[in-house]
Amino acid sequence: MKRMVNCPLTLLLAVVLVAIGGCSKSEQAPSTSVQAPSTPSPATRAADEDIKCEALGDFANCAVQKSTLPQYSPYVEQNFPNRVYWGDTHNHTSFSFDAGFGNPLGPEVAYRFARGEEVTSSQGVRAKLSRSLDFLVVSDHAEFIGLPDLLRANDPELLKNATAARWAKMLHAGGEEGTKAAIEAVLAIFKRNEVFKDPKVTRSIWEKVTSIATQYNDPGHFTAFNGFEWTSAPGPGNNLHRVVIFRDGAQRANQVLPFSAFDSENPEDLWKYLAGYEQKTGGQVLAIPHNGNLSNGMMFALADLSGNPLTRQYAENRARWEPLAEVTQTKGDSETHPHLSPDDEFANFERWDFGNMMNPVVPKQPDMLQYEYARSALKLGLKLEKQLGANPYKFGMIGSTDTHTSLSTVDEDNFYGKMPTSEPSPERWKEVFLLNADKTPAAAAWQVQAAGLVAVWARENTRDALFDSMKRKEVYASTGPRITVRVFAGWDFNAGDLDRPDFAAQGYKRGVPMGGTLAKSPTSAAPTILIRALRDPEGANLDRVQIIKGWLDGKDELHERIFDVAVSDGRKIGSEGRCKKSVGSTVDIPNATYTNAIGAPLLSSSWKDPDFNPQERAFYYIRVIQIPTPRWTAYDQKRFGIKMPDYVPMTVTERVYTSPVWYSPAQ
Amino acid sequence: MTTMPDHRKKWRRWIREPLVQFVAIGFLLFLFYAWRSDTGTNSYSIVVTQGQIDALAARFVGIWKRPPNEQEVKYMIDDFVREEMATREATRLGLDRDDVIIRRRLRQKLEFAVEDNNNASPPTDAELQAYLDQHAEKFRAEPQVAFRQVFLNPARRRSTITQDAKVLLARLSASEVAADVRPLGDPLMLPSEMPLSSRSEVAGLFGNEFAAEVLKLKPGRWSGPIESAYGLHLVFASEEVQGRLPSLTQIRPLVEEDVLSERRDREINAMYDHLLERYHVTVKADANAVAAHSSSQPAGKTITAPKDID
Repeated sequence: MKRMVNCPLTLLLAVVLVAIGGCSKSEQAPSTSVQAPSTPSPATRAADEDIKCEALGDFANCAVQKSTLPQYSPYVEQNFPNRVYWGDTHNHTSFSFDAGFGNPLGPEVAYRFARGEEVTSSQGVRAKLSRSLDFLVVSDHAEFIGLPDLLRANDPELLKNATAARWAKMLHAGGEEGTKAAIEAVLAIFKRNEVFKDPKVTRSIWEKVTSIATQYNDPGHFTAFNGFEWTSAPGPGNNLHRVVIFRDGAQRANQVLPFSAFDSENPEDLWKYLAGYEQKTGGQVLAIPHNGNLSNGMMFALADLSGNPLTRQYAENRARWEPLAEVTQTKGDSETHPHLSPDDEFANFERWDFGNMMNPVVPKQPDMLQYEYARSALKLGLKLEKQLGANPYKFGMIGSTDTHTSLSTVDEDNFYGKMPTSEPSPERWKEVFLLNADKTPAAAAWQVQAAGLVAVWARENTRDALFDSMKRKEVYASTGPRITVRVFAGWDFNAGDLDRPDFAAQGYKRGVPMGGTLAKSPTSAAPTILIRALRDPEGANLDRVQIIKGWLDGKDELHERIFDVAVSDGRKIGSEGRCKKSVGSTVDIPNATYTNAIGAPLLSSSWKDPDFNPQERAFYYIRVIQIPTPRWTAYDQKRFGIKMPDYVPMTVTERVYTSPVWYSPAQ
Repeated sequence: MTTMPDHRKKWRRWIREPLVQFVAIGFLLFLFYAWRSDTGTNSYSIVVTQGQIDALAARFVGIWKRPPNEQEVKYMIDDFVREEMATREATRLGLDRDDVIIRRRLRQKLEFAVEDNNNASPPTDAELQAYLDQHAEKFRAEPQVAFRQVFLNPARRRSTITQDAKVLLARLSASEVAADVRPLGDPLMLPSEMPLSSRSEVAGLFGNEFAAEVLKLKPGRWSGPIESAYGLHLVFASEEVQGRLPSLTQIRPLVEEDVLSERRDREINAMYDHLLERYHVTVKADANAVAAHSSSQPAGKTITAPKDID
């Protein structure tokens, strides 16, 4: 592994400018990788014989193939996903250089907490989830992986290194000293200054990581994935981080070492590493980018890291290795931004739009936003697909926490913060994370969002089943509540299908689920989308179900539009497809309570696109909005008997975003 | 104010004399240094033994994969002597005393020593079994239930829902046990047939209250309606398994983790209790000052070290 790219800020700026200017309108042959609802994806590897129908997402065909035997039971053929599993793909423990400096809790504690046990937090507070998670990815930073633990143990070899020795001292001091050491470590990574490297040490830590995952992986009950985070932040400070998740156990995962930003900060080199892993081991792996909102225009740019316009090869590789994007987490929400979606009254949500992750931050320019937020990226993907013949930004959406406390918490009334220093205390809300150049706070702890979770439609709680669902994007993002939502898009659905007891069987047979692609309609008629949503059984009612449509018109212009398709409390949806009447609020801020007197526990809809044009590429994703509930800041205010300033929000409108269904006109 | 006895007044006046104080402090310092110089690390003689040189060389080999040459050995010894002198001088000057890093590190070393000692002897089977018996509730497997359910949606049925539930319950009770119940009632995106599932699995789908009610049902007949987060359900519990205590072999690692962590806490507390017996501690707290410290800090706290976020 070698250092591949060394690209200073000026060059990068030039790259972005060239990329924006170079967004040509050249017409190339449109995608050939479109898939009809019932044909297996050509992208899957034909050589892989043990690949299952589930992995292809082709449940209807599987059933047909098996139907030669006499039949009686309606259940034998039900091999499609039948329930939602909830998890977090983004959890940092003491093995991460930045969490580890203040957090002594290793992956064992992360797993124990996630599966529902009581643990003691790094700050000595008892902690327990209201409901266990079904799976967890411990995703410690590959850079300096395990370093804090080695420093803590005063590893003699490591302490020969002057920087390491100094960090060890700061680490042992704890508190602010520990945090300072963490910042130094982060900056060292941003500056690509690998102060410490020893493959032997990395190997021993990686094998420890995988052995702990083996210990806690309990097929059928709790899934512990092998994974790590690749912490690329060129610029420096522009977030291009990816979480890498292995489908496989230790035997395969141990054949490689985590790929770090010191090896390369170019995502294309990460993809080479992932391809190399699959070739070497016969296993499977994927990567999930996160926090586009802190990338200063780089996460979904129109150019590669060196500034060259994207190619078809780039687009195919990205789509191959990065089927998902993490769009909501503690460091804010990246679905869309008011500047990009001025007509979206729910867009101004948990915003972190001050700049990147340098300290002081490099301020955000409005032009950067379109290359950072998921909705805009999905739109850009349609245009790129037309130009290149492949869509690099054809991703499903997930949420995860990015916690650095080892504790995955997303409930507003049970939130343990993002960093060890932001665990529950009367002062935590005012802690400052990042500064502007003029030393005013850019990001403070009250802005941290208690989010998010991944919901995975699968049949069983195993590494294989969950990974395969992630790969085919049959997953969705939640900011916390366990709202169940199921989506099917097809050409011959009607409203009656919503109520069928075999709703899911019909859905798979006659349509595609979230994450799928509809090929050209047989009749040029518009597709129908069936949606059913259930509120969190222990949570708040639902306000509305929305379809967000993005499309590329005949003049190569991109558009987006929101349709309300089911609303609570007998409100009306106007002819323009919107319900402008707010659901209201029952939140009692001083007492941090709400009631389910408004909203609905169940919402469903059968919706036909009124503006469908069979020539135009499009995507549809579902957003389910919950009624307002108290934010974690309100619970803190109540429990600690404090008063926060008016600029600190006290209510939150939680939501889920499904992976889109795409429409691609076949040729 | 109460009057003080004469002999106590005299005593007080006497100890306020600067000369007396000076002599007393001097005597204490003399005792202190006499004691410290005996302990070796604070004397003015440094002896570097062959054993120490070997240890330095071994560390060198560990890093460079070759033995040090003569010059390198000399450098290491010089460096060791410098470190030793610096440590002693700094200690003499009391530089270690107010240093929060050193204090915490020393405390940590002491606690780690207890911890290492703790982990050195793994818990015996008898110890684990005793712990399991004492904390049976913590390790008890959840009760499980398998059931079928028919849903009634209040948003659709409104005022007739209770009557509808009654009619449907009678119909279900009269029907074949194996009948397909899926077309009955209102659609709900939750299983109409739940295989044997734990309480928390049922709660995860239907809510806690529903799960608690279903676990109370008598198996083998239709019952209800039971309320969930979504509406009313008629439920046929087909099988129930009581929560039972797993054997030690089934959950040994879990019990072991708990035993070790409990033992660690106990031994560290015991160490401090033991030390407290040897120390005489006086806390001279001023009531008003305590109140001032414990009230929440004013807003607009000065920003010192910005915190990293990823």
